[in-house]
Amino acid sequence: MTKRFGGLTAVGGVSLDVDEGDLLGIIGPNGAGKTTLFNVIAGYYRPESGRVVFEGRDLTGHPPHEICRLGLTRTFQIVKPFGNLSVRDNVMIGALTRVRSVAAARAEADRGVERCGLGDYADVVAKSLPIGLRKRLELARALATRPRLLLLDEVMAGLNPAELAAMVELIRRVHAEGVTLVVIEHIMAAIMRLTRRIVVLHHGEKIAEGVPAQIARDPKVVDAYLGEEFTLE
Amino acid sequence: MRRHAGAIVLFGLAAVAPLATRDAYFLDTIVLILMWGAISSAWNVAGGYAGQVSLGHAAFFGIGAYSAAVLTVHWSLSPWIGLGLGMALSVVAGLVIGYLSNRLRGPYFVLATIAFAQVLLIAASRWREMTMGSEGIPVPFKQGFWTLGLASKVSWLYLTLAFALVLYLVQVYLEVSRMGYQLAGVREDEDAAQALGIPGRRLKVIAIAMSAALTSAGGTFWAQYVGFVDPFYVFSIDLSVLFALNAIIGGAGTALGPFLGSILITSLEHYLRATLSDIAPGLIGVHLIIYGCLLIVMVRFVPQGLIGALGALFIRRARTARGERLART
Repeated sequence: MTKRFGGLTAVGGVSLDVDEGDLLGIIGPNGAGKTTLFNVIAGYYRPESGRVVFEGRDLTGHPPHEICRLGLTRTFQIVKPFGNLSVRDNVMIGALTRVRSVAAARAEADRGVERCGLGDYADVVAKSLPIGLRKRLELARALATRPRLLLLDEVMAGLNPAELAAMVELIRRVHAEGVTLVVIEHIMAAIMRLTRRIVVLHHGEKIAEGVPAQIARDPKVVDAYLGEEFTLE
Repeated sequence: MRRHAGAIVLFGLAAVAPLATRDAYFLDTIVLILMWGAISSAWNVAGGYAGQVSLGHAAFFGIGAYSAAVLTVHWSLSPWIGLGLGMALSVVAGLVIGYLSNRLRGPYFVLATIAFAQVLLIAASRWREMTMGSEGIPVPFKQGFWTLGLASKVSWLYLTLAFALVLYLVQVYLEVSRMGYQLAGVREDEDAAQALGIPGRRLKVIAIAMSAALTSAGGTFWAQYVGFVDPFYVFSIDLSVLFALNAIIGGAGTALGPFLGSILITSLEHYLRATLSDIAPGLIGVHLIIYGCLLIVMVRFVPQGLIGALGALFIRRARTARGERLART
């Protein structure tokens, strides 16, 4: 698919296959087009060319809320909590997409909040959470919509080492429960530990694809990250 | 039940007021507090719960006022039919405005709503055959419930009380229902709400159409109560501002807020009008300046409105009483 903004090609001719049960990582330097790719898949942008197909259905041009209802949910890199609502209500709003009854959705939200380690914060107003917990809330809320494919946009960025370990553990568990995952990450180390297959984007193009060990040695990837040593850690 | 304690006290007091006094001026104040509170609640459905702030709700109010008056004057039809017609027309107008709210955001949407009310004002003041133009329409008085010719202030008090209760319940529905939670999500962050499967645009349009219909119903009741429809009043920006002001001062997005705001503003206006005009006729517009100052003070110091201020007070007291720690930050 291709997505342009005026003269700038944000994503150019990138093709991506995700099988059921995959845990695919997407990495790339800043401005590589990772988030744009998610925005196209989730229906926020319409691509100039190409299609998005999910479970045999063409999603191109569908609005975001329909895409979510079809089982494909995304999170936002810059987290978007419903700031003035409690953590529980945030997750419950996600659950209400699948459950009509408010009481049932609330019960489901309580389980989701617990599962994502937010149990102590269920009644706290979302805007007062620190960033690490906001990232978890973003995940909990998305999970409440019962996705079969979940797009995670840098849910590990900005976390301290302890939070990072907990997040990796949580993502593994979600994957083990049968949710197919596509994970965008800036931090190479985190994604190397987590995924089995990685796609590297640079300047809107796919420059490499393969297992983590292979990617780490790929000269094109090393080139792309040159001058951004801090991301290699 | 406890969360409705405020409403029970408020509406209860209004219900027993006629037992205490038959003073027409006092009962008139209560009727208008309930009426403006209910109409501000209707504004609150769009402005508070859906976050679609409009300064053109006088448009719907005027549609309701005119529908009933025109049908009664020209065809001798019951104002209840006018009420229905006004609500139907307002739903259509609300859908158009709602559609605009998906194209225009923030100040541009507000400007569009103001323009819409102005257009209706011009139409109503020029379409002489139907509306009697800028002179306005006197609403004929015919005794009876079907013709909404209620002679006693007490009957009007109970009618507006019922209307206020309906509006309160509509708002409570928007706090506890599926649609209400989803609307809260759209208000807080529309992109995030859509990502979670909520049809944000459709919900906003529905909320605006609901708000329009309820405002229109208020317009019909008001016109029948006052007995005269003046285009320069019913479509005025002053009125649109008043609806928003009551809700914001009381607490936008809360069911009781618009009524608290109305108690403050309506009684203040009644009091100031009477006393200021006693002092000097030139002081008659001064209450508007006082409104303005009040709004500035509220928005600066108590952005959640009266209800937020009262709530914080109660919570603080309860917390110190139980010796609880303050919420984690």
